[in-house]
Order: sequence, then structure tokens, then C-alpha cells
Amino acid sequence: MKRYLETGNFAITEGAILAGCRFFAGYPITPATELAEAMSYRLPQMGGIYIQGEDECAALHLCIGAALGGYKAMTATSGPGYILYADPYGWAIGCEIPLMILNSGRVGPVSGITGAPGQGEFYLTRYPTQGGNFETIVLAPNSAQEAMAIVVEAFYLSERFRTPVTVLADQLITDGFEDISVPENEGEMEEMGFRKWPRKINRGPEFYPATDEIDIPPVVLGHNTGALCSDWTPTEEGYDIEEVAAHHKHAYRLIYKIRNHRDLFNTLYEKTFMDDDPDLVVVSYGTPSRVVNTAVKKARQMGMKVGALRLINLWPFPDEHFTRKTKYLSVELNWDGQLVREVQRAAPKDSKINFLGTCGDLPTIPDLIEAFTKILRGQSLERRGWELEGW
Amino acid sequence: MDYLSKKYLRSRKIPSTACSGCGLGLNHKAVVQAVYELGLEVEDVVWGTSIGCAGRQTFGTWKGDGFAGTHGRVYAIARGLRLTLPPEKKIILTVGDGDAFGIGLLHLIHASRCNADMTIIVNDNLGYMSTGGQYGWTTPHGSKTDSSPYGMYEHNLMSDGMDVLGVLKHAGATFLARHVAMDGQRAVESIKKGIQNRGLSLIHMVFPCPTNFGSRELGTRDTVKIYEWIENQAAPLGQEKENTVWATGVYFDASNSRPEFSESIRKNVETIRRTAAL
Repeated sequence: MKRYLETGNFAITEGAILAGCRFFAGYPITPATELAEAMSYRLPQMGGIYIQGEDECAALHLCIGAALGGYKAMTATSGPGYILYADPYGWAIGCEIPLMILNSGRVGPVSGITGAPGQGEFYLTRYPTQGGNFETIVLAPNSAQEAMAIVVEAFYLSERFRTPVTVLADQLITDGFEDISVPENEGEMEEMGFRKWPRKINRGPEFYPATDEIDIPPVVLGHNTGALCSDWTPTEEGYDIEEVAAHHKHAYRLIYKIRNHRDLFNTLYEKTFMDDDPDLVVVSYGTPSRVVNTAVKKARQMGMKVGALRLINLWPFPDEHFTRKTKYLSVELNWDGQLVREVQRAAPKDSKINFLGTCGDLPTIPDLIEAFTKILRGQSLERRGWELEGW
Repeated sequence: MDYLSKKYLRSRKIPSTACSGCGLGLNHKAVVQAVYELGLEVEDVVWGTSIGCAGRQTFGTWKGDGFAGTHGRVYAIARGLRLTLPPEKKIILTVGDGDAFGIGLLHLIHASRCNADMTIIVNDNLGYMSTGGQYGWTTPHGSKTDSSPYGMYEHNLMSDGMDVLGVLKHAGATFLARHVAMDGQRAVESIKKGIQNRGLSLIHMVFPCPTNFGSRELGTRDTVKIYEWIENQAAPLGQEKENTVWATGVYFDASNSRPEFSESIRKNVETIRRTAAL
């Protein structure tokens, strides 16, 4: 194990290389640029390939090309680049291409504030492309060290599920300097719980079987397997077909291969002070969860029966955590309230659901303690100037 | 095409679903003929296509590995694939004019910039014909289409002395040619040269669409009329007449004169891996 004081971008790069990633195509964008830079330095040393795309759309298409050639590939961006993935993301979902996509959230919409954290792509990562009829896997770490582990896990899941996996981080995770331990060999990787899955080659002739099975090797070109992949509705052999029944078979696979095997990743969450059915459950993901955890500990010392639920597996949304009727508070890095909508949907009907949103900066511990106190007294949260949205 | 199709094409995709009288088959045959004359086998080629008439009709026809990209992005996919395939594998792309010269032009320019080894056949039916017939970036001035009922009056990449092949030449493509579908063996020879170039080759091949282009521009779906209309406006380079729109033949040949993309990247990666030098 080697220890570093380094950024999340560094940790993610090392994680990707440990996972077997040997191809990176990206486009410079704050705050994911240093990740591309680190890749341009590290990948050639490992015999891997780094290239820059003419835009993000091209970058993800380049990754698709490399993945079709049998490489484990990834790209990284922020919100304004992530929306340009819409086109290739859909293709990769449809053709079941394993990829790892990192999104480091900043303040939107559009270019917004480049060097500050935001969580505006909660829903965008669920629907990164048009058309529907698919399910996506999204994981959200809350530190540089965890980002490394989650990136390895994302590569692992992408191979087993044959689908792109998005890792949703934010500017504080990718740009922030933290204490990072990097495993130096397979043994240390295992010790840290890192799982790896090798790229296998699908030899056909059924390239797109209409089942929810996982662990089917992806389509790889260049081995003369007669593999076909396209943006059209595929038959099981990969031919294009205009037929609703065939499309439903394909869509069934895209939806249920993920929904029916959630046990492979729905264990990714963290619960703090949740064993005694707290009166208020504070829900968050990513960097804000670190402040939430501290605030919840403090509130407990003050006698408040508060618990924290941190989601790592964001999509498919883990409804199972919201079966209990109680008070909920969603703490997010946006002012419009995104995660809170899913909590509203998943929680029992008459639960009291609150929202506290900051953007560009984290909520403070006093902010959170004040919010907990109000909610537990049965009061509603209010908007506080330009700093804070609450309801 | 029988002996060619038996060797190279999938029986499931023959006959194609193209409209009757469509000239795309002539282009398709020229490409397969060129592959045959170069002595290439099914496993030597990975075949990519775009969407639209040209992409859809040629997708999955090749017996070997094949893919169809999203609209206009197949050049970026092919570039990524190029980096991971052995250098002796050929990538052939059959795409349409809207794909290459419209939505995909940025990606095509960047594939040309880095001289990625692939042979692109741009099958040009003079506009967006699979969506019913709207003008595109090579539609001759004055042509009537469903979106230019008064005649096409926008500037495009083949009007006012512009030539899209000039754009690609200056972007770095190393082999460029233009033909019409009726050019037969002349087109085959150009495609062969294109495939032999280790770099980006593009052959622009105009083909007649009686159903959507002929019917609007000429007022008839008569196949012969649209074939004649194209043939009359095409002439070999150097023998152009006053009404020539498409000067056919090799436009630019700098084959094997510039380092190829994947070769150059691999070479650099290998050096860095060995020396880890900054």
C-alpha cells in the first residue's frame, strides 16, 4: 500500500488503472481536467491509450470504439459535457457496451460556476439518453479514497451487466486533496475489497439474447465472430429489425438485467445511527453526506433522535430504505430539490419530507442542526436568501 | 454480383429493402468488387455503416463483423476501434451524405486530421432521402426537394465553387476520389486505391434516387430519367463540360505519405512504456 496526499482525480485514475482500464478519451472540462491529465501521464506507462476527442460526444464514441475492440475504456467530464454523451450513451446502452463514465458535478445549469460543487445531474444520470426502455446503474462516492474503490466497482459491474456505469462525484471530490492509499498488488487489492472482472469475447451467434441474464460477454469486433451491433432494434443475432415485439424483447433485457440483479450493488450505502428507528432520517449522497454525518453525530449528543442514510447506489433507486413512516430530510447540492423527489415517491404516503439545498458550497453544521431542530419540532424549513433553499 | 455475394455477403440481407431503381446497389457492388480484386477475405474487414438509406441498406450485409453508429458519429467510433484493431484489419465505412457532410462533418474532419486508417464510401443521394427527401449539403442549387419546394437556394458544400473534398484535403485526408454510381470499374479502381492507402481515404459516390429525389426534381420516378440526369452532369476530371457538377476520378492522392493515426499512437505509447520519459 502506498499513501499519497492527492486529489480525487488522482485516486480515480489509479482506481481505473487497477480495474484494467487501458483507454481514456476525454475533453478538457473543469473540474475533471486533471483526471484527463493524470490519465495522459499514467496510461502510456501501462501500455494504454489516451486521446482527446473533438468534443465530449466524440470522446464517448471513441471509448465505444475502443470497447468494441476489447479494451476497458472510460471517460470523465462534468455536467456540460455529460449532456453531450446523450447520443453515445444511448448507443452503448442499446449495444450493451461496458464503459465507465465519471461525472464530477459543478454548479449548473449550462456552464454555471466551474470550480464549485453541485449535484444537478441526479436525474440526468438516470436518463442520460432519450427513448426510455432502459435502466442505468449510478454510484456516488463521498471521498477520494472511496471514489477509487467505487471506480473499480463500476468497471466490475459494467462488465457483468454489459452496460455503461456512471460514477457521480462532485468538484470537491475530484479537486480536493485527501489522504489516499493505493494498493500495489493484487493481494492488496483483494484486501481492500476491490473486485475485478476480465473482458471476455462474445462468440455469438446470439449477441443479444432476450433474457435478463448477466455475465454474458460483450460484443467485440475484429475476431471474425460475425458480430453485429447497431443503433436499431436488434434481433438476437444483431440484425436490424423494425418490429415492436422484437424491440420489447430487447428493452426487457435492458431493463430487467439490471432490476433483477440489484443485489450485486444495492448493498452500497451507509447508515449512521439508524438502528433505533430515528424520528428524522437525513438522506444524502456525495460530499454533503460528510457534513451530514458529522451534524447527525452532534445532534445525537444534543439528544435529538436523528439518523443518516447515505446513498452510494443512486440508480436504480433503492426504495427499500424508505419503507418506514417517519420524517425525512434530503440534503443536496442544488436549489431545486432532486433526490427529495425520489424520497417523496419512495417513502410511505404520510411521511413528512423536507428539503435543504445549497449549491456551490456545502451546508454548515449549524445550518443542519437548526434544520433538524425545526423539523423535529414540526416546523417547516424556509428559504434563506441566496444561500439556502428549504422546504 | 452472385459470386461476390456468396463469398462476402449474408444471404439474409439479399435482396435489400431498397426502393426499386435505387442506385445504392451499384456503389455497394463496387466496394465489394474492390475488396475482391484486392484479394481480401471476410475476416480482413470490419464493416461500419451510418444511418439513413446508405447505412441501413448496407448494415449487416457483410459476412464478417459489422457495426452501425449513431448518426454522424461512426467516424469517432471507427477511430476508437482503429486504435484497438491489428493494423492489417481494414475498416470500411459505407455512409450517407447527410451523415458525413452534415451531422458528422466535425468527426470526419478530425478523423482526417489524424489520418486514421479507414476507407469511407460516402453514398450521396443528394439529400435526406430516407426521411422522404429534404435537401442536404451536396444538393445541386435549384433542386426541388420536399424542404426546398422553390428550388434549393442555401449555400452548401458543393455550390459557389466549394468542394467538400477540398475541406477534407486540407483537414489531412490522404486519399480522396469522386464518382457516380454508373462509373463501374473506374470507381472500383479508386476504391481499391483507397483501401490500399494506410490512412484516411474517402470516396464520394453520387447515386440516383428515383423515389424521393427524382420524383421531386424531375417530376417522375422513371429510373432512366434520374440516371441520365446524373450521368449528364458527371464527367471525368479534366474533361468537364459547362454543366458538369461532379468531376469524377481521383481528386487527391497522397497515399501513405503521412503517419497513420493508430500506428503513430502505438509507437509513442511503446516508447513511453519502455522509457517512461517525459
